[in-house]
Amino acid sequence: MAAPVSSAALAWLGRSVLGAVEGVGALALVAGRTAWALPRLERRELARGLVQFGYGSLPLALATAAMAGVIVVVQAGIYIQRFGARAFLGWAAGYGVLWEFGPLLLGLIMSARIGARNAAELATLKVGGQIEGLRGIGLDPFALLVAPRVVAMEVSMLALSTFTFLVAILCEAVAAKLTLNLPLRVFFGTFADMLSPFDIVGGVVKTGAFGLAISLVSTAVGLRAKGGARAVGEAAASAVVLGCAAIFLLDFLLTTLLSRWS
Amino acid sequence: MKRVLTFFGAPGVMLARTVRASLREGVPWRETLAQVHALGGRSVWLVMSGMAFFGAVLVTIANAQAKKLIGNVAVLGPAYFEMLVRELGPAVSALLTAARAGASHSAELSTMSVNEQVEALEMSAGDPYADLVAPRVLAGVVGVPMLCVLGTVAATLSAVVVASLAFDIDGRAFMDARYVDGWDVLVAVLKAVGCGLYIPLAAAVAGLKARGGAEAVGEATTDGVVAASLGCLLIDLTVSLAFQFVRL
Repeated sequence: MAAPVSSAALAWLGRSVLGAVEGVGALALVAGRTAWALPRLERRELARGLVQFGYGSLPLALATAAMAGVIVVVQAGIYIQRFGARAFLGWAAGYGVLWEFGPLLLGLIMSARIGARNAAELATLKVGGQIEGLRGIGLDPFALLVAPRVVAMEVSMLALSTFTFLVAILCEAVAAKLTLNLPLRVFFGTFADMLSPFDIVGGVVKTGAFGLAISLVSTAVGLRAKGGARAVGEAAASAVVLGCAAIFLLDFLLTTLLSRWS
Repeated sequence: MKRVLTFFGAPGVMLARTVRASLREGVPWRETLAQVHALGGRSVWLVMSGMAFFGAVLVTIANAQAKKLIGNVAVLGPAYFEMLVRELGPAVSALLTAARAGASHSAELSTMSVNEQVEALEMSAGDPYADLVAPRVLAGVVGVPMLCVLGTVAATLSAVVVASLAFDIDGRAFMDARYVDGWDVLVAVLKAVGCGLYIPLAAAVAGLKARGGAEAVGEATTDGVVAASLGCLLIDLTVSLAFQFVRL
């Protein structure tokens, strides 16, 4: 009786591999056509995207930053309580936020907020046949819809990353003062001593890569939607899940690469 | 100011109405079970893989910090495990759930609102609060704590594996429950239940407000995700800081 089980397993494996290959292909296609359409991108859509993705995400991004800061202080506080290494907190806090928790949490939040929205909008257009309509009258949907979103997302993520790092570090200083009774002077003193500009670059590079991944994945998922209203909901959900997966993968790769480098 | 009040007030009002309606009408149990599956069962993969990754990142950071300071990170294993159980496990698991469940709840409810199915339900003597919101809220209160437990387990196991394989240290220190006491578990439970209550309520507020067409569904989905995520972050921060202040 093992035959049906194993053949079902094989079929599942084959389907998964084919799905993965197809997904990577679709992603590459979207990336290529977006790059091709960059010179002809729609300016008004870009402006709208910048307002929606950047300015509209500020409250959530700042809350995320506060959360990241508090997490890192709690984590580094372990050392302070065990070893009394107070001079070390500034470095630990800065390193944690700039390298890992800041970009990671910002990426996850933006993937939920922007990825879902992009996928839902594009899937609605696709399901309603409006994408074909654009092609029919000789307009390139990538120049009109995809390229502005990718560029706006990238600019927004880089701008937001700067803000979130600043807010996170301020929150850390306050949290350290409140919970560990560490004077602000000590915190910022060690901060300046033990961190290098390279640490900031690392965080910005990561955030930029996450932004690109989120926008490409969500638009690719949205453009592949088929069916009716249900497909729109499914596209939104799978854009969030795939976006998170892409962020985890990229984070791992970039951490290993950048830590070799420094 | 008005937006802040709305952000905190609307879920509270929604909760009061839901409780009153479910006391009056009763809660459909079958629908509740279906919602537990939809929220819990379908988020398990996302939460477990996300948390496993998170555990690996945590060990990497801990290792980098320990190298600067004391040399061997295994000494800190128990302290890290306490932190994972108390702070990070519930917080990040709830955030991942908020992204997925918040999006799907608000998309479902806003689609129903836009297609006037909610009015149809009221016309046929149903109660949207008891029939639609209450099952989702119950599913959240039951499902999010379970997901938090699973997520914490996944993070711990992945931390142990990464520490043992990648850094050649005894990773078993990361599952040493020496410092975990009842207070830590209480903080974790409070966070998980708070987030589980808040996510469906915020999504329902955004979803039932939707009016218009496909555009409104997209708006409502975004609003629901944002409100749910932001609420979870605030709940985690509040609980953590409150317990930090009284030194428990």
